[in-house]
Amino acid sequence: MNLLLVEDGKLLALSIVEYLRVEGYRCETVNSLEDAWEKVSMQNYDCILLDISLPDGNGLTFLERLKDAGKMEGVIIISAKDSLDDRIKGLKLGADDYLSKPFHLPELSARVEALIRRKKFQGANKITFHEVVIDAQSQLVKVNETLVVLTRKEYDLLLFLISNKGKIISKTSIAEHLSGDMADMLDNYGFIYTHIKNLKRKLSDSGCRDYLKTVYGFGYQWHE
Amino acid sequence: MNKKLLDQTLRAYIVLALVVMILSGPLFYFISNRLFIKSADETLINHKKEFMENVLPSLKGEDISTWNKISHNLRIEDPIAALRKDSVFFHVYYNKFEDENENHRVLLSPITIEGIPYALFARVNLIESEDLISNILLLFCITLSLLLAGLYFITRRLSKKIWLPFYSTLNQIEHFDLNKNEKPNFESTKVEEFTRLNQSVDRLIERNLLNYKNQKEFVENAAHELQTPLAIFQARLDVLIQKIPMTNELGNTLSELNKTISMLNRVNKNLLLLSKIDTDKYNTTEQVLISDLIKRQVLFLKEQAEEKKVSVHIEFTNPVMITANSSLIEILVSNLLLNSLRHNYLGGEIWVVLHEKELAISNTGKESELQRGKLFQRFSAAGKEGGNGLGLSIVKKISDLHGWALNYNYLEEKHVFQVVF
Repeated sequence: MNLLLVEDGKLLALSIVEYLRVEGYRCETVNSLEDAWEKVSMQNYDCILLDISLPDGNGLTFLERLKDAGKMEGVIIISAKDSLDDRIKGLKLGADDYLSKPFHLPELSARVEALIRRKKFQGANKITFHEVVIDAQSQLVKVNETLVVLTRKEYDLLLFLISNKGKIISKTSIAEHLSGDMADMLDNYGFIYTHIKNLKRKLSDSGCRDYLKTVYGFGYQWHE
Repeated sequence: MNKKLLDQTLRAYIVLALVVMILSGPLFYFISNRLFIKSADETLINHKKEFMENVLPSLKGEDISTWNKISHNLRIEDPIAALRKDSVFFHVYYNKFEDENENHRVLLSPITIEGIPYALFARVNLIESEDLISNILLLFCITLSLLLAGLYFITRRLSKKIWLPFYSTLNQIEHFDLNKNEKPNFESTKVEEFTRLNQSVDRLIERNLLNYKNQKEFVENAAHELQTPLAIFQARLDVLIQKIPMTNELGNTLSELNKTISMLNRVNKNLLLLSKIDTDKYNTTEQVLISDLIKRQVLFLKEQAEEKKVSVHIEFTNPVMITANSSLIEILVSNLLLNSLRHNYLGGEIWVVLHEKELAISNTGKESELQRGKLFQRFSAAGKEGGNGLGLSIVKKISDLHGWALNYNYLEEKHVFQVVF
């Protein structure tokens, strides 16, 4: 999978590349719109991570240019401007997702994976992890061909963990992922414990091996 | 109590009028009375002189009774021993025709007729002059009253007209709102003082607006500048975690770091929001089904409340629609709900009541009333029980922006926050 990261913050770019590389993505970084344009005219990317405020212009104009040129790349806007305007404008111009800075890398990783899956398989796609099969379209989970009935939150949690398999995921990023728009109302992360516990029980009841490990005091990890 | 400027001027006029009336009335009476007496005395002296020159030389002793029969006001009386020279005085005589006592001015003068001393008696009736004086006095008072009344009304009308620009300026200053960023537009006036006043107020407001704008921009810029380092910090931490062998102790430490950075993020976000709330970004309103919004948020709140074993009661069924900015109303409700949980105790309760025109969220908590004065100030509750001290000031600002009243009450051991739409 080829990713293009358009971001002028060096350390942030470095962190994103480091994190995503482990997931098996080939990630190239540019720090200006000019360089970005050069890259996309030479090859196709599966996903472009696009910052909005760049030294040589607004990322939204790049998005427009991309759309005008008929490029079909998936684009996730990563912006420090958490304004509704930009979000709506960006999505209207054909961006597939919008993530406001600061964000958790597991969140970014999950979004990238979801986007690529959507683009590649037009939604009719399955995520398979050993005996666990997730149908992303019907949102059904099967273990060894047996249906596991999960709540909406448990399903989101499972998908998030598998999207970040092998990584240690903090309670904070899980809590914020599960809360979505309500993340600002988060005060403590105790509530995720219930969801984790229920998910673990349901999976093991259906004969799934115990991949979900607790990282004491910090969070959780989905072992490979 | 404060008095109006115009009333104070007019009050002075009325006091002046009363003083002039009270003082000038008696003075006028006194002076004209004296003038009349003086003229009465002169008349008496003249009568006497005329008598002395024209009548006395030819008057004989036996004519006296005849004279006295004809002349009533100038008579010859029996001599009075003590009378050595002219004597003038007042005396009251009864007038049988008018049936009243009348005040007279009387002159007694010693005379001699054929070597025998007599007294010349002359008198002038003062009753007519007294009538005249009181009539004149009445006329005087009426004229003066009319003059003062005229002055009063003219001043009133004129002052109102003259002070009009002042009241217009005052009205504009009273309705000036720093948040709305609208400079008042003063009417031009021909009065120099008012022009000066308008110019000074104009400059003052302009400076204030500029300061306010700068301050807001500073907060906005500072928050923006913080976002990048925060993003880097967060990302580096996420990478770091994958690289180190995790131990219990390390896990706890890193978790605390994560929590702290989340808190920083939220403070930063709220500061940005506060600096932007009154800009154009949020001045659009629409119809919002607040009942659904609350139900959705309460669902999430209940999940959060489980750990604290706090029960949440929704006490409404009817759908309620209000006019508001949809993003801001979300924030207002979530901040109030979150507060009711954050400041609650283990096993406490939360009630959400919604009516057509009001939303009240009450919760159990600290067993004493909160300090009202500080409640809606920024950072007044920072650090206590996990809040960042901006939630309620954001709620307050959103309420102000929509023109809603935000009240706090401590009733039956419950903290009640009420928004009146």
